[in-house]
Amino acid sequence: MSVDNAYAVELKGVTFKRGSRSIFNNVDIRIPRGKVTGIMGPSGCGKTTLLRLMGAQLRPASGEVWVGGQNLPTLSRSDLFDARKQMGVLFQSGALFTDLDVFENVAFPLRVHTQLSDEMIRDIVLMKLQAVGLRGAIELMPDELSGGMKRRVALARAIALDPQILMYDEPFVGQDPIAMGVLVRLIRLLNDALGITSIVVSHDLAETASIADYIYVVGDGQVLGQGTPDELMGSDNPRIRQFMKGDPDGPVPFHFPAPNYRADLLGTR
Amino acid sequence: MRRKSLLERIRLFGRSAIDVVAVLGRSGLFLMHALTGRGGIGGGFQLLVKQLYSVGVMSLAIIVVSGVFIGMVLSLQGFSILAKYGSEQAVGQMIALTLLRELGPVVTALLFAGRAGSALTAEIGNMKSTEQLSSLEMIGVDPLKYIVAPRLWAGFISLPLLAIIFSVVGIWGGSWVAVDWLGVYEGSFWSNMQNSVSFTDDVLNGVIKSLVFAFVVTWIAVFQGYDCEPTSEGISRATTKTVVYASLAVLGLDFILTALMFGDF
Repeated sequence: MSVDNAYAVELKGVTFKRGSRSIFNNVDIRIPRGKVTGIMGPSGCGKTTLLRLMGAQLRPASGEVWVGGQNLPTLSRSDLFDARKQMGVLFQSGALFTDLDVFENVAFPLRVHTQLSDEMIRDIVLMKLQAVGLRGAIELMPDELSGGMKRRVALARAIALDPQILMYDEPFVGQDPIAMGVLVRLIRLLNDALGITSIVVSHDLAETASIADYIYVVGDGQVLGQGTPDELMGSDNPRIRQFMKGDPDGPVPFHFPAPNYRADLLGTR
Repeated sequence: MRRKSLLERIRLFGRSAIDVVAVLGRSGLFLMHALTGRGGIGGGFQLLVKQLYSVGVMSLAIIVVSGVFIGMVLSLQGFSILAKYGSEQAVGQMIALTLLRELGPVVTALLFAGRAGSALTAEIGNMKSTEQLSSLEMIGVDPLKYIVAPRLWAGFISLPLLAIIFSVVGIWGGSWVAVDWLGVYEGSFWSNMQNSVSFTDDVLNGVIKSLVFAFVVTWIAVFQGYDCEPTSEGISRATTKTVVYASLAVLGLDFILTALMFGDF
């Protein structure tokens, strides 16, 4: 047993590559149990990849991914599917099953993993939908829902089996202020009410900082910094400072690498 | 455009060969995981019935209409050729043998690849691009068991049945043209057919062919959907690949199977 009980997820020396390109180099991340942990970084830095490594949907080139006392990359295919029952994921698009209505989407994990009666499943689905404020939308199909409603239904489905770990992939992208406010409140509320561990992958600084107990900032295939939101705001690291303050130019340049501007315009390069 | 050096061409050829071997390996593992091992979920029979409906029943219309027309054309062509030798009474056996041995299994498989195969690829590809497959994985449900396996079995069961239906309606269409339109004596039409068609050599071999085609076409269709790039362009490319690869595989396998079943060597 290598995992510390204070941590729900531990990445130890994880390296991940796509082809010959290295996405993460020897990364160590520890997600504290029962807290909301934000994983932040600029777009394209591999935040979603990190989430998929934690769910073992991707296999690292080297390193260990410990969840619930198990090193996920070493598990067999069927054991891996069993291990995932303790996790819930809210995907960026919601990823609702388009051929099922709202009720059946939320009931799906209960139907495939439990032997509960239809009456019991109905009660649980109603409670989960009540928690996200969509009990009235029970008969709607996914294409009848707005983007924000889809994510809330997906959230109800993600908590249907009462997972110990809930992962959110860019939950605030493309949401109007009301939907965003609802999601922010729900993430914190569910974490505290259900006593679960929440991992929020996002580049939305204000929203994530407002609910996260702890934040990792990733970039260039490494963990650039970690700490509470206040600690990171006061960081001396110029890359973290640029990200936390949203400066357009700094260690991460505004311009993509290009030849000399004057030479390019004159056609003399 | 820069001319490629010989070394560059050899390198690209080697890369293509490695890619082909990698795809074959992936598709083999994909099939093995889908059809074997534990991890199946409850309600598997219901999933199969649902897929039998969308893959098999929904393909009935195109199969029946095509079968009738092909039987009618066979009858017209057969009659005009056989009439030159005064053998027009043998048109029944010609239609039956052609349909049972060749056209039934082959044309049904080609139509199946175009209608059901492309739909399977697009459906699974779309599930991949909208993260529904990832979502299933994270709910702890293996998409290979829940999504792929019922579709594989549905294709495997449906196609041979559709091929039999194709041959039956084709023979009916042929008899309508030959007997009711061209005036071939009905008794000779059916008795010649009965005397010359062997259950094991013709009917059974045709069914065996369509079983092989069913396996290959459905395998290609579901694999292309599962393995596609999750973008609209990727899904479109995968759908095209399904129809092209499945059609070529059917025609190539048909030659091999025909040589094994009917070649006298």
